[in-house]
Amino acid sequence: MSRSDVLVDADWVQSHLGDDGLVLVEVDEDTSAYDKGHIKVAVKLDWKQDLQDKVRRDFVDRAGFESLLSARGISNDDTVILYGGNNNWFAAYAYWYFKLYGHHNVKLLDGGRKKWELDSRDLVTDVPHRAPTSYHATEQDQSIRAFRDEVVNAIGHLNLVDVRSPDEFAGRLLAPAHLPQEQAQRGGHVPTAKNVPWSKAAADDGTFKSDDELRALYGDQAGLDFSKDTIAYCRIGERSAHTWFVLHELLDQPNVKNYDGSWTEYGSLVGVPIEIGD
Amino acid sequence: MTGTGQASAGGCGASAGGIRVTEGVGNQAVVQGHVTSAGSPVLTGYARLLNADGEFVAEVPLGEDGGVTFYAAPGSWTLRVLAPGGVRVERSVTADIGKITELEVAV
Repeated sequence: MSRSDVLVDADWVQSHLGDDGLVLVEVDEDTSAYDKGHIKVAVKLDWKQDLQDKVRRDFVDRAGFESLLSARGISNDDTVILYGGNNNWFAAYAYWYFKLYGHHNVKLLDGGRKKWELDSRDLVTDVPHRAPTSYHATEQDQSIRAFRDEVVNAIGHLNLVDVRSPDEFAGRLLAPAHLPQEQAQRGGHVPTAKNVPWSKAAADDGTFKSDDELRALYGDQAGLDFSKDTIAYCRIGERSAHTWFVLHELLDQPNVKNYDGSWTEYGSLVGVPIEIGD
Repeated sequence: MTGTGQASAGGCGASAGGIRVTEGVGNQAVVQGHVTSAGSPVLTGYARLLNADGEFVAEVPLGEDGGVTFYAAPGSWTLRVLAPGGVRVERSVTADIGKITELEVAV
């Protein structure tokens, strides 16, 4: 896999808007951004309403994902280009989610919505109509999804990458600083985890750094052993999907999992070890 | 304590402008500001909060009034504003528990 297989830039998207077989999808937690203006022909996915089970803390099941993509007019053969706000956190999460359910022809718009806006490119409010399809998903590919017991068993053995900010890693903050600090779970991190904030992988405009810079960041600077399997986590699994994308898709590391339970699960477990401090 | 905003409690995303403080500040250390250009709110742009080491901590798109709100920890922070046309402006700010630190940023 090379960078051009998984990433497209804004110029490329601009020149391919409306191409047959290409579906542009904006993914956000707060979809009011899409409603106020989005890239022409883009459809929207709501991270919470569309991708999370309404009752359990889990993903929509295979049938639910099939219904969702069918209703959005996305076919198995379509190339899906994902973008969103928050430096593509939720778009990266959707990318990982599409891969989980077996949609392989998917790419990210480098820099996402932010780069598009900072470039002063056009946004529209027209919602495109796409005819419904009959989408078929596969069973979840569990080779890219980690669960809590795997994380506990990985302590001291595998690479654990905590991609939250240094203050969340240390336990001084319990959530990103744009949210109120009123979470109930304990602060800190999984013992032996390296703290490599997701933001170190991206430039100010949200685009990914070069492969050489990324390899140096996780290798020489953070001390990850690339010969070992890796589990990435954050607070709810979307920032770590961004890092999963970097390690698995851009740097071609073979065994990387995203722990989507992340700190909101781990920090609330009884009986597991926690470290605090930098 | 705070307004409901648009970011859900279970999520991690940043709604435009962040979640404004509408009632008491409680035990939060809030950094709140407005970004203007020639006296008018800047509507398209981003504000990011950096810690004392210059590391990224959080980012929100500017709100409809050019406003931003962050829930920091006590200490020194830098607010960096990005806007179209290569605009990049920084301001230093100190946050304290139980206080809203206000700042106006002209770009």
